[in-house]
Amino acid sequence: MNLKKYLTLTRAGIIESLQFRLSAFIMVIGNMLYLIVVYFLWKAIYASVGNEPINGMSFYDTLIYLVLATALSGFMEMYTVWEMGRNIQSGKIVLDLLRPMEYRKYLFWSYSGSFVTQFFFTFLPTFIVVAVLTHGAIPLGINLLYFVISVVMAVSINYSIDFIVGTICIYTESIWGINIMKQVVVMLLSGATVPLAFFPETLRKVVSCLPFQSIYNAPLTLLLNGDPDPAYVLQTLGIQLLWVVVMLLAGKLFWRVSLRRITVNGG
Amino acid sequence: MHRSIGFYLRIYGKILVQDIKSKMSYRSDFIISTIGMICTNIAGFVSFWILFQNFPSVDGWSYYEMLFLYGFSLVSLTPVQCLFDNNWSLRIYVYSGDFIKYCFRPINLFFYYQSEIFDIKGLGQLAFGIGTIVYAWAKLGLPVTVLMILKMIVFLITASLIMIALQNAAAATCFWIQNSFYVLDLVFRFKDYAKYPITIFSPVFRFIFTFLMPIAFIAYYPSLVILRPDEIPLLSWLSPVIGLVFFFLSYKFWMYGAMKYSGTGS
Repeated sequence: MNLKKYLTLTRAGIIESLQFRLSAFIMVIGNMLYLIVVYFLWKAIYASVGNEPINGMSFYDTLIYLVLATALSGFMEMYTVWEMGRNIQSGKIVLDLLRPMEYRKYLFWSYSGSFVTQFFFTFLPTFIVVAVLTHGAIPLGINLLYFVISVVMAVSINYSIDFIVGTICIYTESIWGINIMKQVVVMLLSGATVPLAFFPETLRKVVSCLPFQSIYNAPLTLLLNGDPDPAYVLQTLGIQLLWVVVMLLAGKLFWRVSLRRITVNGG
Repeated sequence: MHRSIGFYLRIYGKILVQDIKSKMSYRSDFIISTIGMICTNIAGFVSFWILFQNFPSVDGWSYYEMLFLYGFSLVSLTPVQCLFDNNWSLRIYVYSGDFIKYCFRPINLFFYYQSEIFDIKGLGQLAFGIGTIVYAWAKLGLPVTVLMILKMIVFLITASLIMIALQNAAAATCFWIQNSFYVLDLVFRFKDYAKYPITIFSPVFRFIFTFLMPIAFIAYYPSLVILRPDEIPLLSWLSPVIGLVFFFLSYKFWMYGAMKYSGTGS
């Protein structure tokens, strides 16, 4: 069966990521600290305007949005750029290219095991804690289904962007610089650091034409809206689907063109 | 083994020249890394700008005061980036056994180890940080006197010791534990929280961020000396001393670990 070879990679990934329990524990502490800082910062911000909702976002909405954005980013960070950059520099990429599977797919599926562990150990606990702490400010209805569909597409778009940026490493041989630029652009323009609802009008219009907002803003706004307008849902998911296809094709094309230029020193 | 400061400065200059020569053979990497560094700083700036489009102030702190804090934190975080970047490689040297080569030089071990790498891309952050401080300083209409600038320099340098101390201590954990990268990474993330006024936190976290993880001394306490000259708390005046104490403790901890190091036997 075709799917079986992919799921084998997923299983190997799950086993591998369960090995690193200390690192997982420290990462949880790091995220907790971040959430504490975010909580107090936004509490102070909302206190300065008398706890009124701003641009349709109440304090709880903003908090849920930012906390789940962090949980999602832990979920979606696949270190693809590092992996590709290192493999290109060390020459290991030659072995990966020889595999009977497209490199793009191989990289994705060999990481996919971490999705499973991250989902159960980071995202789900965070989601439950937030839902309880905010006294049911997360609406539990059909929006959950939209959220899940949206996240699946977000993962795909995010991976495509990573893969494109990783391909750039063939040309530049600079991993750190390229990766940090990608991270900054994605986190800011996707609304993961400051929700897009706070962006000034013109900037928000520009950002809504870019693929990044489909990664964090789209799923999170769908989640927070308990009684969504079907047209809005269709529009959001439609735009996401469009970006999934566009970025996938762009990534494939760029990779195919770049592969001819690859130079491997030694091996 | 006590040598004069002049001796160490001369050695540092020689090592620095060698390091920069080798870096220059990867020029495109240097340029891209510097741009990347400046991008992160610009993103921080833009986040503040977007926030203050919606809110007049945060906890009594105006836009330009917050920018001043941000600029202060960027500058005081530059030395750890430029001069102590080799801490990131420590666990690799220790693990592979290559660390032993540093133990056989007739100069201070800590000095020799840290001097080996100078991370040039930190200079982009320095320039951006100074620019931000000057901009905020001008917009706030703070007086420009020799005394103010002297104070600023002294407090910036001593504030930079805090993050250096935290990083030294985190890096030195590799002498005892295997997965020390995550400890270092965790501590490195603390620096992102230095740009906020400590007063936004609840008393418990104010205590933690002041005495246990002293990030409040990276920007908040020292910059009060310049920003709010009428109501300077005691901790602000003490911040240079605290910087020195934390640096000294981390140095001792680092050296203690290094002295315990027995190599890998190969």
